[in-house]
Amino acid sequence: MTTTSISLSLEIWRQKDSRDKGDFETYTLINISTDMSFLEMLDVLNEQLTREGKDPVAFDHDCREGICGMCGVVINGIAHGPEPETTLCQLHMRHFNDGDTLVIEPFRSRAFPIRKDLVIDRSALDRIIQAGGYVSVNTGGTPDANAIPIPAPVAELAMDAASCIGCGACVASCPNGSAMLFTGAKISQLSLLPQGHPERHKRAMAMVTTMDKEGFGNCTNERECEAVCPKGISIRNIARMNREFVRASFLS
Amino acid sequence: MNYKLTWVTIMFFIHFVKSSIGKKWIMACSGCFLLLFLCSHAAGNATLFNSVSLFQAYSDQLHGHPLIIAILSKILFSVFVIHIVTGVLLFFQNRSARSSGYKVQKRAVKNSLASRTMIYSGLFIMFFILAHTDAVSFGDHGTIGLTISSLFSSPGTIIFYIVSFLILAIHLSHGFWSMLQTFGINHPKYNPLIRNLTYAIPVFFLLLFSAIPLLFVI
Repeated sequence: MTTTSISLSLEIWRQKDSRDKGDFETYTLINISTDMSFLEMLDVLNEQLTREGKDPVAFDHDCREGICGMCGVVINGIAHGPEPETTLCQLHMRHFNDGDTLVIEPFRSRAFPIRKDLVIDRSALDRIIQAGGYVSVNTGGTPDANAIPIPAPVAELAMDAASCIGCGACVASCPNGSAMLFTGAKISQLSLLPQGHPERHKRAMAMVTTMDKEGFGNCTNERECEAVCPKGISIRNIARMNREFVRASFLS
Repeated sequence: MNYKLTWVTIMFFIHFVKSSIGKKWIMACSGCFLLLFLCSHAAGNATLFNSVSLFQAYSDQLHGHPLIIAILSKILFSVFVIHIVTGVLLFFQNRSARSSGYKVQKRAVKNSLASRTMIYSGLFIMFFILAHTDAVSFGDHGTIGLTISSLFSSPGTIIFYIVSFLILAIHLSHGFWSMLQTFGINHPKYNPLIRNLTYAIPVFFLLLFSAIPLLFVI
């Protein structure tokens, strides 16, 4: 495998703190190996900025293997960049061409305040989970794994929903800043399984109410969330949440 | 009568209506009612393919039941108002939920014309309906056949009607699928059928309604 290098022009959103108005700044990077990940490319930029005595670009990251949900920016209008079902940290520079101009912006939504540069506050998603994204199992011995039979297709659907890493790309890409793909996945993952059934009504009501209170917008079925989701979460989960919420509203 | 329980029911309903998913259901339910009205309207208008006199006979028959007409037209008007008011409310709420737009505006979904323009196509349809009811529905139903004939003698009116039907078809192409998604109907077994109906239903209404003004040209 041959390693090639590319040069890039980056337009990055710089914002000192939550109150700062913020603006774009342009940087030029040369000799970027196409084997680098996008975050490694930002690391190189930050090294360069530090050497020049400038403030490095703040961005979120943690595991860098696509499972923690910390990273995420909008590249040329698409959350997590142009590759489907790929988190930003798993996006490699080989998907870009020499001389490309990349506009790098933070995830934007009323419910996601910008803290600094590309770092946003996604704690609104945590508060949705705190409202009902759990099962109350207080104590007792470890139950036998097959004590409760669960059909394999149902288990698969629950696992698909559970693969949501809570990165917030759905909110960032939604023209309405709606968090329904996230909330739908979290409600589905639990309501599909027998362990989640006892609290399904309470959960749907609490999580949807919290989602609304946090300032997320309303879903108008634009499907943008599904298209950018790095875990390929289907909007079928939103349909399931719609059913769960109505069932909880009318039957509980 | 248990006032306390009644109050609880009212409060629960207000909570449902105020919630984001509640508003989705209002849009979907009212949209479904309007779609059913469109079906009955299309069926009635289809008599014009036979003759204007048969259409006149259908109109006379329909207006021979003034009580039914009075009740249904008021329900229809209310559903229209609910659909429009909720839609406009959602538009403004959603616009403010996006703190600020991106510098590069790009959609990841292809063919998003219909979903992007629902508010505009919807408002256009509202103006069309105002013009249409003003010209036809509030006139003398005893001579509605003549009203229609004279209405479609002007090429400008024909073009206006066909453009409106085209916009209605675009509105329906997102609306029909969106309605089923809100009702929670999204299943791999039925999705191919739903995808086909999403195109077939708007095209059906477009062809049927557009053919009517053209009948008067030929």
